[in-house]
Amino acid sequence: MSDSVMSPEYTEAVKNLLFQLADDDFMYSFRGSEWLGLAPHIEADIAYSSISQDTMGHAAMYYTLLENLGAGKADDLAHFRPASERRNSILTERVNGSGYYLETPHYDWAYAVTRSYFYTQAKKVKIDSLCESSYKPLAEIAVKVRMELYYHRLHWETWFKQLMSSTDVAKKKMNEAIALVLADFGDVFSYGQQKVAIESNGLIGSEEALKQKWEMSIEPLMTSLQMQMPKIPDQLVKNGRNGEHTKDLEEGLTTLSEVYKFDSAAAW
Amino acid sequence: MNNEKTFYHEYEIFSKRTPSSAFQHQFSLLAPNEEMALIMAQENFMRREPVADIWIVNRKHIKRMNAEEKMTLGRLENKEYRTTKGYGYLKKKWRQYEQEMLDEKEILSWGGERK
Repeated sequence: MSDSVMSPEYTEAVKNLLFQLADDDFMYSFRGSEWLGLAPHIEADIAYSSISQDTMGHAAMYYTLLENLGAGKADDLAHFRPASERRNSILTERVNGSGYYLETPHYDWAYAVTRSYFYTQAKKVKIDSLCESSYKPLAEIAVKVRMELYYHRLHWETWFKQLMSSTDVAKKKMNEAIALVLADFGDVFSYGQQKVAIESNGLIGSEEALKQKWEMSIEPLMTSLQMQMPKIPDQLVKNGRNGEHTKDLEEGLTTLSEVYKFDSAAAW
Repeated sequence: MNNEKTFYHEYEIFSKRTPSSAFQHQFSLLAPNEEMALIMAQENFMRREPVADIWIVNRKHIKRMNAEEKMTLGRLENKEYRTTKGYGYLKKKWRQYEQEMLDEKEILSWGGERK
């Protein structure tokens, strides 16, 4: 459907979905950017930073679509909206570990790898579905994003495989990370209160269908690693799609918007 | 495929013209082992050119990309920030600041007050 013939209800549903997609990639890439200089070795550092930049680029495309729909300036949407208005999954807002970037960051690489692998695999499932979206501008962006996802997915799958096939210490850390990631995975495939509007307008596949595709997509790797299939919880502690978030998000937003808020009229 | 049992192996040959130049892939040849590959490479292909060094690599030791892996090479054209041309506007901006009047208002603003 093109912008000119859209009903107000349809436009609302598109905007709601776009906020979920944009906020997911935005927070995920912000957390990724906090690894700069801290990854296990220099090539891993560059590769992860590149992936974070790519992902920030994907968020920017979604925010631009929102800008085109009259939701406000893309940069403002990314920086100014308070936590209660954010629609990202709580998985993407979680800190990387204890400590802060500028002082004693004790970040957890096993968590970074697991969150990234599960998240990117989920993103791939969503993007494949979005390529068929009834909202044409979104389908066109999905085709572009898909191009860069091949590398992102392979990158994290490879790390995941390597660490799971490594020492007992590595396996222990990975299993702890998997438990943490899964505890927050409940809202990844949720559309929150917008479920009916988003699904009935054919913007993207249903929550259940995508969840099933995600499970099928990681099953071969889990089998080859002789691992149990990860179980996505049915009961949600918080649903980020409804604006329910952890304090990690508020702290993260304060940090990431600090410079932009300092002089929002500056031309960068 | 049972390459281990064949007498000949495929070798990829790399060489450089001077000690400080980069290695370049030149060609491949068949040989029973690395030593034989080296003497073949040198006399068959490099007798008319100066050579500073030669590398011999058994082809089976090269990790190649399959069709699926080649999919990972795609990239979006939205990364001007990774190239120098993405910062071309800086020159103009710099010139603009250089040409701005150094007036009293400007100098006072250095004290921390907003202009």
